[in-house]
Amino acid sequence: MDQAHRNQAGDLRVLHHPVLGDLPESRPVQITVDGQPLLAREGEAIAAALLAHGILVCRTMPGGREPRGVFCALGRCADCLMTVDGEPNVRACLIPVREGQVVWTQAGLGRWEGRAG
Amino acid sequence: MKTTGIAVIGAGPAGIAAALAASEAGAAVTLIDENSTVGGQLRWRIAALRGLGDGLDGLPACQAVERLEERLAAADVSVLTNAVAWGLFEDGSLAVATPGGGFLLQAEKIVVATGSVDLALPFPGWTLPGVLTARAAQILLHLHRVLPGRRVAVVGEGLDAAELVTDLETAGAEVVLRASDPAQVVVSGDGRVEWVTANGERREADAVVIALGRQPDPELALQAQVDLGYSARLGCHLPLRSALLETSRPGLYVAGEAAGAADLAESFAEGRLAGLAAAGASPERIAATQEALARARSPERSVEVDRLRLGTSDRAQVEADTSSPWRSWGRAATAEGRDNSLARVALCRCEQVTIGEVRQAIEEGALTINDIKRRTRAGMGLCQGIFCTGAMALLLHAERGIPLSEIVPMTERPPARPIPLVSLVEIEE
Ligand SMILES: Cc1cc2nc3c(=O)[nH]c(=O)nc-3n(C[C@H](O)[C@H](O)[C@H](O)COP(=O)(O)OP(=O)(O)OC[C@H]3O[C@@H](n4cnc5c(N)ncnc54)[C@H](O)[C@@H]3O)c2cc1C
Ligand code: FES
Repeated sequence: MDQAHRNQAGDLRVLHHPVLGDLPESRPVQITVDGQPLLAREGEAIAAALLAHGILVCRTMPGGREPRGVFCALGRCADCLMTVDGEPNVRACLIPVREGQVVWTQAGLGRWEGRAG
Repeated sequence: MKTTGIAVIGAGPAGIAAALAASEAGAAVTLIDENSTVGGQLRWRIAALRGLGDGLDGLPACQAVERLEERLAAADVSVLTNAVAWGLFEDGSLAVATPGGGFLLQAEKIVVATGSVDLALPFPGWTLPGVLTARAAQILLHLHRVLPGRRVAVVGEGLDAAELVTDLETAGAEVVLRASDPAQVVVSGDGRVEWVTANGERREADAVVIALGRQPDPELALQAQVDLGYSARLGCHLPLRSALLETSRPGLYVAGEAAGAADLAESFAEGRLAGLAAAGASPERIAATQEALARARSPERSVEVDRLRLGTSDRAQVEADTSSPWRSWGRAATAEGRDNSLARVALCRCEQVTIGEVRQAIEEGALTINDIKRRTRAGMGLCQGIFCTGAMALLLHAERGIPLSEIVPMTERPPARPIPLVSLVEIEE
């Protein structure tokens, strides 16, 4: 079976897929994650953009700081809650990236920070 | 209040088949799904379809979705996506939440085709970032085109696990370890998956996929408090149904994996029958559809369906089925089990309740899932118990010897999903 290729940047994207074909071109979307710029693909979920860059942690649990990341990718487990544009408890596995979006790893239950912009 | 002839909830293969059949029989149909497109589990699987008939067989599942959308459009079914049906009330009205707010829907008949969720059982490290369900892995690989990791371990031994191994390798990941028994798996790492140990082997890995199989998710039917029966095959309770797939609540049908259907072909065939029956199609048409459904079912499942319909007991099967990974997990999780290493593992991910705490609640007298929930908060988190009640039942069974057939599911109350407050405020009267 054809081994899919990956790009050199250490990116975890599946650029070529034997069944699904080549990854289509897409407009790059710039977001900010914990203060660092990150290039995402238009239309993808926030958590997918993070995972493509090897970022697994979305939140830490209340109390013990235990980290959590995508578990169900279906909006059902709430392990991927992040603070997005000042709003806490956003499911990063469902909500798509948007140009200029500001994303923070969420600590515990998170808190409202007022909408940016 | 909006009205419709037949409301179908869930637009996977069963719901789509129900909607198409009901509309073909002349009913006004509203098909509701929480996702942005129809297709259910087909949306992210790439395995070639079998058993769905003309125009679909042979296509990768995700590429069949467009064909089904075209059929729905041609059949004049009203399709509501991004819409969660979160409550089914006494008076038969359905509460639906949409991004813009919400509404109540009054339907003459309701078909619940809400499918299944992935079965998960706790093991040390199962809450670490990098551990994910089979569906999450397929969604990442095929919808988002991202590898969950380069070196991946797969937990589970059935068909779903085999499909996941193929999917991962096809996309370019390396499967470094396979483990059949979740009770034997230990995952460790500093803030993320780094090591996986199973069957005496230890491997470096950056992701672990839990592919233990699927569990029916008939939550709306449970809210309606329909009569239930036990399935030893699945180790859980299922809505009891007539030969036409109607539950004990008149006008409420359940079809597909939500009712325990074993696979795609059976789910599709059940959906078609429920749709025709709800729409009051001619007896000839219904008889032909029942025959097609019988052909789509395995002999084992046919026996189960008949048994549930007739209410005959399944003792022998309950006693015989003690070797599955489910039971062995239950034994390992007891105080006498393995080496007590599971005691500190979270059973309930959301509320961070450990197996040890649940064991203690059982020791102190908890006899039901509702008891455990009240005493420990396990099952009260945002996931609403979908990833922990199975484990609670196994632990009750192992600790107390209560037959699984007598452990009833948690009492389900609306909302079926956490919903924004606006959906409640903005319900149109
Ligand atoms: C890893 C894996 C491997 C598989 N391998 C095979 C195989 O080899 N062969 C085979 O035949 N089958 C296989 N299947 C199973 C097959 O995909 C299912 O049998 C089929 O999709 C079930 O159809 P369904 O319509 O009952 O449910 P689903 O496809 O699960 O559809 C249910 C839909 O309802 C929606 N929903 C649920 N609750 C609500 C609500 N309250 N409001 C609104 N919408 C809601 C869900 O989001 C979903 O879209 C596999 C599945 C998986 C995950
Ligand atoms: S990963 Fe489960 S809700 Fe997002």
